[in-house]
Amino acid sequence: MRTLADPTRRAVFERVVRSSEISVGELTRGSGVTQGAISQHLKSLKQAGLVAERPEGRNVYYRVKPEGLAPLVDWMDHYAVFWPDRFADLRTLLQEIDP
Amino acid sequence: MSEAAIIAGSQEIVVDEVFPHTLDVVWKTLTSPAMMSRWIRMEPTGFKPIVGTRFTYQTTPAGEWDGVIRCQVLEVTPNQRLAYAWKGGHEGNVGYGSRLDTVVTFVLSAVEAGTRLRLVHSGFVLPRNETAFKVMSEGWKSVAQRIDALASEQD
Repeated sequence: MRTLADPTRRAVFERVVRSSEISVGELTRGSGVTQGAISQHLKSLKQAGLVAERPEGRNVYYRVKPEGLAPLVDWMDHYAVFWPDRFADLRTLLQEIDP
Repeated sequence: MSEAAIIAGSQEIVVDEVFPHTLDVVWKTLTSPAMMSRWIRMEPTGFKPIVGTRFTYQTTPAGEWDGVIRCQVLEVTPNQRLAYAWKGGHEGNVGYGSRLDTVVTFVLSAVEAGTRLRLVHSGFVLPRNETAFKVMSEGWKSVAQRIDALASEQD
């Protein structure tokens, strides 16, 4: 029951859901807890299959995994993941047709 | 590498990136059905870059929804702007598969590095009826339980 009573972890998850993609630094700012604490919460959420991470340079970005929480995901969450993924495929396609 | 900027407000999703290709090449990927299916990963049936044209995409069905996204071309300005309606879902569903009545707009502009492509997917209505609220609450409970179970395992 301890985790259920942990408002920080839930707040972290809610912010990831709303942001569609967010870095640890962004999550830390204004949270009132340390970056290390935020990282621990993200680790747990990741292991629970609720969030996915994407490293980019020195940052790691987190986003929700729609398949991990079907009842929670609305259309916006779905397309907030869909379109960035499609843009990545578009970049690849463009490289192929116009090297 | 990627100039991605993803902004999810309460009503729209914006993805804005620069591609090192000319306007006409990028435009072709947005308006040629063969190209569209290669990156959107859904085949557009009946698409023509002509205002008023109705076309569909087939995606994963959910509940009473057959998974057909019904589109209609709203705006075409070659090499600059393409917008189409993007509708689907069913009243009986919540979350993914619920009623969807949105618009997808692509805006292209020439920049030094190539072409800036801005996608705006607008018109989302956040769930606010009682059923949706209840399902969301149930969802939260299961999420909390899973996190709790996981935390116990780690202790």
